Amino acid sequence: MSFTERMLKIDRRIIFLVIGLCTLIPLLYPVGLPIKISQEVRGVYDHIESLPEGATFLLSLDFDPASKPELHPQSISLLRHAFRKNLRVIALTLWVSGTGMADQVVTQVAREMGKENGKDYVFLGWSPGGTAVIINMGQDLYGAFPADYNGKPTKGLPVLQGVQSLRDVNYAVSLGAGRPGVEEWYVFGRDKYKFELGGGCTGVMAPGLYPLLRSGQINGLIGGLRGAAEYEILIDQKGKAVAGMDAQSATHLAIIVLVIMCNLFYFSSRSRARQQGQAGA
Amino acid sequence: MIFLRRQVPLLITLITGLVFAGQYYVPHPASEQMLTSVTKWLQIIGGFALVLGVSSLFHVHAVKIRRKEAGWGYSFVLYVGMLGTIAVGLWANGKEAVDGAMTAFGWVYNFMMVPLQSTMFAILAFFIASAAYRSFRARSREAAVLLIAAVIVMMGRVPLGEYLIPLSGDLSQWILNVLNASVRRAILIGVSLGTVALSIKIIFGMERSYLGGGKE
Repeated sequence: MSFTERMLKIDRRIIFLVIGLCTLIPLLYPVGLPIKISQEVRGVYDHIESLPEGATFLLSLDFDPASKPELHPQSISLLRHAFRKNLRVIALTLWVSGTGMADQVVTQVAREMGKENGKDYVFLGWSPGGTAVIINMGQDLYGAFPADYNGKPTKGLPVLQGVQSLRDVNYAVSLGAGRPGVEEWYVFGRDKYKFELGGGCTGVMAPGLYPLLRSGQINGLIGGLRGAAEYEILIDQKGKAVAGMDAQSATHLAIIVLVIMCNLFYFSSRSRARQQGQAGA
Repeated sequence: MIFLRRQVPLLITLITGLVFAGQYYVPHPASEQMLTSVTKWLQIIGGFALVLGVSSLFHVHAVKIRRKEAGWGYSFVLYVGMLGTIAVGLWANGKEAVDGAMTAFGWVYNFMMVPLQSTMFAILAFFIASAAYRSFRARSREAAVLLIAAVIVMMGRVPLGEYLIPLSGDLSQWILNVLNASVRRAILIGVSLGTVALSIKIIFGMERSYLGGGKE
């Protein structure tokens, strides 16, 4: 077996080791390369910035622990921004497996920003039905969520004063890791109940949401860890996303180098096989 | 019996399909009230669907354990995990924490489910890198275009890539905003037209496979 053939059949544990080191080393020794802010992320930031104090901001945390590394930093940044702007925050999740995590992040950021449950924010929890929950909230928010996550009746909560349905929400952001997520919030929510909508998603999902972004159906998109890092920079509170960008840089570069190498070996072994074929003929 | 099994569901589908397709364009309070009621039913049905899903999962794995099929041990682990979680969930009234103190259900969620799911997702990075090395080859012109586009986007989406090749950021944005968005939109329009056609077929009873038993 020639060198190129041996390289093409390299033990995958070596690749695992390379990726592992590329993730670990930058986390231990961060470089802190500058991160450019994209228009998509700025769209969400600018809209929240433009909202007056006391405006209603709905955050739907539609993800489970599998997407935590990408969407958790996004939710922290968005909540910090909303609380800093003194917006009234209504949080919920359409993913049952993400309920506990969503509650923790909302409570943790609210505590950090000195906000009061029921007055400054409310976590509605999860309700079955997926997209039906969105329509139901659009018709009657109290029908969809008669009580919040802690069992307190939603009717009469100061944070929901003047909010009857999704029509009364000033801005909504869905952080989605799949379905139901950003697309469903547009199709079943924003399209009918006419509120402004922004999105956040995992890196792999972002290209699929660009048509919504380009047509103005969503006014901004926070894509993956990169989007979260950009948002952390915009609100001037660097966190886990910025810290993870060096690791992501190194792994991306490692994969690119691996792909280039495999193609070089592939073409070299193909041309050798062709030459051997001609010599044989 | 045939009337109840065939004609009645078809009639319900026809009426509800037409009524709710029209409802979208009628903002009258009565029409809105009707939608409110029906979405509540949908939410209730969603709750029952969850029960149905769980019971079906129990049944499938019970059969595997009883017959001692290959991998029945995993089914046993699933049983223990599910029953254990349901038990502690009911005990804790579905709450992860009470007065700041973590419940057993919260412990299961925070120290089992969260790390397990995160690990499963994180492992993907290793497998993707290995798969990319083995299969991402420029075997044809189309594969070469895909490969170049992927490399540009991968470079442009990370600070190191933008640092090494400053143009990669703008190029990757252009690929995502123009090429990707237009192709995705074309696919979306195609899928949507297909959905409309299928909906019409279902509403008017031309597509009946949802009734079970295939076409008559």
